[in-house]
Amino acid sequence: MSMEGSFGQDSVGSEDWGPPVTRKSLMRGGLAALLVAPWTASSLGAGGAGGGQESGDSEAEAQGRTQGAGATGDEIVLGVSAAFSGPSRGLGAELYRGATAYFNHVNDNGGIEGRRLTLKLYDDGYQPDPCVQNTMRLMLEDKVFLLFGYVGTPTVTRVLPILKKFQNESIFLFFPFTGAQPQREPPYGDFAFNLRASYNQETAGLVDNLVRIGKRRIAVFYQIDAYGRSGWAGVRAALAKHGEKLAGEATYSRGEKFTGSMRKQVEILQGVSPDAVICVGAYAACAGFARDAVDLGLNVPIANLSFVGSENLLKLLVEGRLDSEKYTRLLINSQVVPSYEDTSIPAVREYRELMARHDPKVPEELIQEEYTPFPHSFGSLEGFLNAKLLAEILRRLGPNPDRAGLEEAVFSIRDFDLGISEQVSFGPDRRQGLQRVYHTVVDNGRFVPLDDWGARFA
Amino acid sequence: MRIRRLFKWTRFGIFAVFGVIVLSTSVLCIYTVDTELSAEYEINAQNIAKTIADSSAGILLNQNLATLQSLVDQFLAVQGIRYIYITSETGEFLAHTFVPGIPEEILASDHSSTEPVERSLPGMGDFIEVGSPILAGVAGTVHVGMDLDVVALKIQRAIGQQVYLICVILVLGVLTSIWFVNLAAKPLAELLAYAVDLARDGERDDLAEREILARDDEAGHLARLFLHVARQGTGRGSAPGVTSQE
Repeated sequence: MSMEGSFGQDSVGSEDWGPPVTRKSLMRGGLAALLVAPWTASSLGAGGAGGGQESGDSEAEAQGRTQGAGATGDEIVLGVSAAFSGPSRGLGAELYRGATAYFNHVNDNGGIEGRRLTLKLYDDGYQPDPCVQNTMRLMLEDKVFLLFGYVGTPTVTRVLPILKKFQNESIFLFFPFTGAQPQREPPYGDFAFNLRASYNQETAGLVDNLVRIGKRRIAVFYQIDAYGRSGWAGVRAALAKHGEKLAGEATYSRGEKFTGSMRKQVEILQGVSPDAVICVGAYAACAGFARDAVDLGLNVPIANLSFVGSENLLKLLVEGRLDSEKYTRLLINSQVVPSYEDTSIPAVREYRELMARHDPKVPEELIQEEYTPFPHSFGSLEGFLNAKLLAEILRRLGPNPDRAGLEEAVFSIRDFDLGISEQVSFGPDRRQGLQRVYHTVVDNGRFVPLDDWGARFA
Repeated sequence: MRIRRLFKWTRFGIFAVFGVIVLSTSVLCIYTVDTELSAEYEINAQNIAKTIADSSAGILLNQNLATLQSLVDQFLAVQGIRYIYITSETGEFLAHTFVPGIPEEILASDHSSTEPVERSLPGMGDFIEVGSPILAGVAGTVHVGMDLDVVALKIQRAIGQQVYLICVILVLGVLTSIWFVNLAAKPLAELLAYAVDLARDGERDDLAEREILARDDEAGHLARLFLHVARQGTGRGSAPGVTSQE
């Protein structure tokens, strides 16, 4: 489906999550592998993507399959499954907008070796099963060149075994919007490339700073799935380094809306008298928790990870409230990209310029519920940086792009300047480009850098 | 027809026999289904706990807790399973599915035990919990909670379907038996009517041309015998004891 003015030729996948009607046997095989592979992956044999001999194929046969897949004479198709519907739709929308702004810029300037970059989009609503089905469709029916810009840990965690299963196809997942460990570690680390810092780094940054200012009793409020557990584990590990344990924990179910009550969770955490709470969730639930925490008198710093979607969180807490400051003054949001307000950063200037020029919109076919995008956001800046680095990697593939050469192209990225004052490097033992974590607080209705933790929260 | 009174007790007997069969079959069915299905669900829960335990050993050793949680979440989709939790060998909760938090009763329980235990969790319901050790317990324990309400509902549904089928068979059996009894009673009624006519006036010409005389069964034989006896006794009047009312 042509999406003129947006990304040249975005195509939007059906939102019917039923099983595909073609190539059923392959799909069944892949889905069966999905159920089995995560827990038996180590038995499938070692070796990086593209290097395995799982089905006895020769290397030449494997390379033959990857040549031309997803890349024709005039376009390179990138497959995306992300949240464009549901309570977390803002995450997929912002990430898409930022990436699209840069890809439009590339396409306007002749593309990559004359090939336009095209996104094949599917909505998974931040749910694992649709994401798995979308991925199978992208790989087997749409035959995309690579997977890009996925959103969320529970979704990505379920997709990784598919990549392992089809490792001879050299399908890689680039720059998912999650800081979880599964795509950074064996047995699946070889099938994904990450740009952002990990949740372990984010939680360590929060814990270290909180402990430094005397907030040692730290509790966790988290989404009860792989994402929440990933953040929970990060906080637990970071506390252990300071000789502390989790003060307490409360959970919520994925898909919770802002209108839902989080009073029970607040009451559970009030029972352990924490000095601070670290939230590992999406913006709707975390905003609901912050609201109910303040309303019930739990007045402690409430920290969120980058995945939360800071602008959407803030919007929920301040919209229509005259007393919004009381709900936001104790917020700390961890970020994995610098502030989009800091125009001294070259990449931020470029981002703002291209966002203004292209003002990308989520394709209407994917919009089920109203969503008003932000002119600028941490999410769209991350999408922008993801796209910028991916375009560079695709350029390094040369005039005849082949998936089998992707890994080598990524590993050729050494001390690459994305324009954010942190150099990006990749290598066989380094599959995460950026390491830095930023901390922000709300001042005058905006997220600004947090410089002095003691002055703010002590 | 008075002749059908002969079969009143037969019909009652058939109904009684069928009733006893249905009642005893239903009781046996209820007992069997309840016992077997309850055991089946418990075994399923144990198998799931064992599957998770076997699958999670490597994940646990790598401290890949996000993958562990993802594994647990997938099994939660199995019908009847309401909660799963995995504890370490020291009793620390490494993955679970409780919202908004881990219930006090479970926090206070012996996490290394794998014996089936029935739990009543406030706000959640009644459960049977089974466990399975990970690496013989040195890496932790998996616990799976089956919702007893869901299990009971399933059992009730299975029993209901079987009892419904048995009842349908009872009704059909009784109706069919009654139909057969009525089928047998019909020629007897005709024979009775014929005998009455013979007793009233055995000389009537039409009595030798009745349809019943052409029957090739016991009723036909009896009718012909009655006619023969009646014709032999011509001139001695009506048979004694036979009234016009009969």
